[in-house]
Amino acid sequence: MMQALESFNWMRIPWALLTIFIVFNFGFLMNATIQKIAARVGRRHGIPVWQNYIDLLKNYSIRTSITHGVMFYLGPVFRLSGGIGLLMFVPVIYGSDMFSNFSFAGDLILALYFVFFGTLGMALGAAESSHPYSAIGITRGLSQMTAAELPFALAVFSVALQYQTLSITDIVAAQQGGVLHWTVFTNPFAVAAAMLAFLGSMMRPPFDVVLAPQEIPIGPPTEYHSSFLALMQTNRALFPVAKMTVYVSLFFGGAASWPVFFLKVFLLYMWSAFVGVVFPRFRVEQSIRWFLIWAVPLGVLAVVLV
Amino acid sequence: MVNPLAMIIIGLGGAFLLGLLPERWRNTAYGVTLLALAAMAWIAGSWLYAFAVQGAPGVDIYTAGAQPPFAINFRVGLAEATLALLTTLVGLHAALYMKDTLFKQGRRAMAVGLIYVMALCGVIFTRDLFNLFVFMELTVIATAGLVLLSADRRALGAGLKYLIVSQVMSMLLLIGIIFLYHSTGSLNIDDMAAAQVNRLPGGAMAFFLVFIAILAELKPFPANGWGLDIYESAHPAFSAVFSTATGGATIFAADKLLQIGGDAWLPAVTVIGIVTFIAANILALVQNNDRRLLGYSSVAQIGLILTVVGQRDILDDAYYYIAGGILLAHAVSKAGLFWLSGLVAKRELSDWAALRSQPVLVFAFATFLALLVGLPPFPGFYAKWDLAHQLAADGRLWLLGLILFGALVEAAYLFRWFGYVIKREASTEQGLCWQSGKADVAFSAVIVAWLLAYLWGELSGHGNLLHAIPLLFALAFLPLDWLPARLKNVLAIGGLLTWFYLNYPAYDPLKLIFAAVMLPGGALILLASFQTGKRRIGFYPAAMLMFAGLALLINAQTTFDFFAAWELLTLGSYFLILRGKYSEPHALSYLVFSLGGAFLILAGFALAAQGAPNLPLAALAQVAADYAPWVFALLAIGFLTKTAAVGVHIWLPGAHAEAETDVSPMVSGILLKAGLFGLFMLLITMGKQQLYGVELTHVLLWIGAISALIGNLMAIFQEDAKRLLAYSSIGQMGYAVFGLALMNHLGWLMALMFVINHYIYKSMLFLSVGGVAKRTGTRLMYRMGGLITLMPLSFIAVMIGIIAMSGVPPLSGFGGRWIFYNAIMTSDYRLPMVIIFLAGPIAFLYLFRLIHTIFLGQLKDELRKVREAPFWIILPQMIFVLALIGFALVPGLALRKVDAYIGQYFAGAGGLHWEGLTITSQFGYWSPVQIMIVIGVIFVTLFLWLLFVNRKAQRVKQFNIVFAAERPYRPETTHVAWNFFAPYRKALGFLAAPLFERFWAMVVELLHSTADISRRFYTGNGQTYAIHLLGFVIIVYVLWMGGMQP
Repeated sequence: MMQALESFNWMRIPWALLTIFIVFNFGFLMNATIQKIAARVGRRHGIPVWQNYIDLLKNYSIRTSITHGVMFYLGPVFRLSGGIGLLMFVPVIYGSDMFSNFSFAGDLILALYFVFFGTLGMALGAAESSHPYSAIGITRGLSQMTAAELPFALAVFSVALQYQTLSITDIVAAQQGGVLHWTVFTNPFAVAAAMLAFLGSMMRPPFDVVLAPQEIPIGPPTEYHSSFLALMQTNRALFPVAKMTVYVSLFFGGAASWPVFFLKVFLLYMWSAFVGVVFPRFRVEQSIRWFLIWAVPLGVLAVVLV
Repeated sequence: MVNPLAMIIIGLGGAFLLGLLPERWRNTAYGVTLLALAAMAWIAGSWLYAFAVQGAPGVDIYTAGAQPPFAINFRVGLAEATLALLTTLVGLHAALYMKDTLFKQGRRAMAVGLIYVMALCGVIFTRDLFNLFVFMELTVIATAGLVLLSADRRALGAGLKYLIVSQVMSMLLLIGIIFLYHSTGSLNIDDMAAAQVNRLPGGAMAFFLVFIAILAELKPFPANGWGLDIYESAHPAFSAVFSTATGGATIFAADKLLQIGGDAWLPAVTVIGIVTFIAANILALVQNNDRRLLGYSSVAQIGLILTVVGQRDILDDAYYYIAGGILLAHAVSKAGLFWLSGLVAKRELSDWAALRSQPVLVFAFATFLALLVGLPPFPGFYAKWDLAHQLAADGRLWLLGLILFGALVEAAYLFRWFGYVIKREASTEQGLCWQSGKADVAFSAVIVAWLLAYLWGELSGHGNLLHAIPLLFALAFLPLDWLPARLKNVLAIGGLLTWFYLNYPAYDPLKLIFAAVMLPGGALILLASFQTGKRRIGFYPAAMLMFAGLALLINAQTTFDFFAAWELLTLGSYFLILRGKYSEPHALSYLVFSLGGAFLILAGFALAAQGAPNLPLAALAQVAADYAPWVFALLAIGFLTKTAAVGVHIWLPGAHAEAETDVSPMVSGILLKAGLFGLFMLLITMGKQQLYGVELTHVLLWIGAISALIGNLMAIFQEDAKRLLAYSSIGQMGYAVFGLALMNHLGWLMALMFVINHYIYKSMLFLSVGGVAKRTGTRLMYRMGGLITLMPLSFIAVMIGIIAMSGVPPLSGFGGRWIFYNAIMTSDYRLPMVIIFLAGPIAFLYLFRLIHTIFLGQLKDELRKVREAPFWIILPQMIFVLALIGFALVPGLALRKVDAYIGQYFAGAGGLHWEGLTITSQFGYWSPVQIMIVIGVIFVTLFLWLLFVNRKAQRVKQFNIVFAAERPYRPETTHVAWNFFAPYRKALGFLAAPLFERFWAMVVELLHSTADISRRFYTGNGQTYAIHLLGFVIIVYVLWMGGMQP
């Protein structure tokens, strides 16, 4: 233990904070941009790109005097820990020792399972608010997640089999040397399955009944407000980017520099935004069936063929 | 030695003396009867002593100063002496038991009784065929007389029907004897045997008549209606004699006769025996009258012994050990049960619930059932083991299968009855007509049962189970049951820990993991048992019997040890599960499935041994390639029954859910591991096997994957918290089986990880949920809600438990998942993985439901004053929480050694590397401590930040929530809990259709309908019975003689 402490490179911590800072700002701006694009498709003007910053500042500065109990308190903490943790456990910039943060602690499987940390904690916190809408949102969310995660897990397994490693860095390394070396070209079925699964995890139409922005006030976070909500907003900037980092690394050759990273993540995000503005919303059981019928067979094919 | 003729003389003389006594001298007459019976028993006993202990050779006794065939001769050997002792002792006990009746009926009844016992002794001893006929006639007449002793008016009819049928049999017998005498020129059985009757003209026909007449006395199916009417209506003490003494003597007569007919007739005996065994057992399924049920069971047991007699050509030396073991087990248990039935006032099976008022009677009842079914440590168990091995060695597998099937049916109805006794309401206050004299007679049978258990253990070539210290320790709790429960709990915990400590050096790393889960793990769960005060009668013997079985299972070196331990733990856990309030049908279902599985294991071991008396478990590796896949399949199905793999899983949810609070974790967290241990043992020794080109481990892979899916899927639809956990166990065991079936290093390591993890979190969750159910009075989750503030410690346990079980880092479940992914990287089979992948996230659903609907959401009005679960239920949970965190941080403590140990079974570097804090595999890496630190730092930082920002926040009331246009006020309508995953049911509910339940229900229904239809044969009409007999004779004639005529 002591040995590990002594050999630990303490400079990793400021670099990690820097990573978080960069990703946070990028996430905020990108969210706003996408919102704006979606609004323009609907012939609305949309928000200014800095609107999310204003909201966040507002929420952090509101002093609440309401809580529903310990788990309610811990919900956002779990959620944001999940987002930051995931970001910390995956190497963000390929080849950069400093921007690979704490990825020495675990491999792809860690990333795959740590995704659920925030989900579970959030579900627990929201449930303690004892608001029925929160509970309904959670049941919908969890139900949909089980189906959406399956093709992704199959795709990940297929990729791991393809490169015979579970290390994200090694998988990125194997894709270097030209666009045609990317997994999207060497293992198209896996990427197709993963990209369909991606839609299910981005909380955009047609799979956004979980949050159900119109009918019931924003699903699980119904009771969250002020700094609780601010924490979750922060997460909403960080977490998708962290997740897309995994996607970029596994399927699209990774990113060797920040500009490449920004571009790839943005394009990925656009994929879900694009589908979202075109298609109407599924009910939960419909989306479960949709994933099982359309995405899972692709995943199975990927696993069998690799 | 006293001449055995003296037994005849004493019997006859006593009867004549009784005739001379004045009618009023009842006491004297009774004294004479007892004295005569005791004297006969003493003579038989002294002969038995001479043969068994002093090793004297068999003796021929000649009468009338002439050699046979000119005079009758008797023969006394070990078998004769044993049977004579049995007969006279049962007769003596019957006389003691029937004291009231005999006093009422007077000296004539006593004289008939003496004649009866005397005649049976004659049947046993004589070597003269005509003399045999005479003694049998005496038996018949005495039987008809004794049947009339009953207070039941139907006995008159039963006696008459018996006379009708027995006259037909006597005629056949007599004609047969005349013809036999004609063809052989002798009446001496040995002479006839030497003459080879089958070759003589008309000899076969003559033998057939004699043979069929004696066989018909044994009440073969279907010509046995008359016998059942006797059992049902006669005095129970007489039924006891009729079942045991008459049955034993007649079987012996049949055995003697077969020496005349030779081996050619053995198959006929086998077929008649096995058909009777199975048919009588199936018919017994639908009986509701205790004595009639016992009658069917008697018929079945005699059928089984007859089957064994039919195997005498292959049994050689083991013949008397096996046949004797089954016969004596049948005799003692059946006599005991009939005697108990005399203590029960009413005749419905459920009326036996009255036995509960005297726990010692329950013990007697349990002893008799175990003895009858052939469970360890009783003689039937050893006999069954040897018989199975002999049959398998000689390729008589179909017969083995039929015997085991019949035995399973028998166990089913007998233990169903036991369930009634333990669980049903006693109908009236006076359900028990307790008479200490009668009870003493019944207890003497209990003592004899245990003595026989010891004796058969000594005689067996496998070591005496009653010398096994864990078993003795468990049995010691029977006499100690009067102690307070807490004291017994201390003893139990001490026993488990001591045994573990003593055996610790002997365990290899693999066994150590199982032993640690089962023994100290059991002790940890037993902490929760401190919660129960008073005496808790019956809990500790049952629990310790299960733990004894588990302890012995791990130490087992031979297949026999393994199987005996397996049956012990099955029996113990059955008693344990049965203790739950509503667990009667579930415990039965558990027992039937478990015994079914056990019988498959027995068949597998028997097939593997190929006649070897003591097969070391390691020798399974050398099973010949012809049988190996079959052995593998039989054993695997047997073990999968215990791990509740899909298809044979239906017993688990009820059994685990309905068990008591501290029993559920034992049977879930610990007992299921026995199945995994068996699979480990199997795969280590036998490895991969192919059956018809199909890789059996591949099949296992699918079974594991589908179990995981179905278990998880069913769990999310449960409303009952304990049922949810029970279904989840099916899923978790599916994962473990899957890991094993991967047949690679990491797969096995993953299975072991599941062994440890599942023990910890499932035990913990069952305790938490049990504590909650105890406080709230319900297990239905939608009736709970919002308990987090009232039961915070239970909540913490559940939360840690579900995080661990779902596999989310940083807790130990993640380790299992990480090893799983590494393990499947090298597997050749990919499709089953898809199923496992699907099962994974589904676990989140039921886990979240568990914590949400119980602890979160809306608190109900009636639960506002609920307190935290009792201290002793919380304490082990908190220890489990620490264990989970500890295991998450340093999995190496538990796994490192076993990882190296497993390496010997797999070539190549498939294992893990443990360097400092990081664990690396061929494909990836994992360092638990660093993960914990990173997550911990982030989590704590954010938490402190939020605390700082919201330092003034205060908790608001329950209904202070943002709601659309109204303020909710009823927790019932605001708590989202019932049918929690409705969308899931819409999308995938069809996968949860109870197909397997329907299948097994259909099997049970089929058996019951068969029994219901068949029992219409037994109209109660004497003429019908005569036709049955005739039909039986003709059928056997056509089938057998048709084949034998040249």
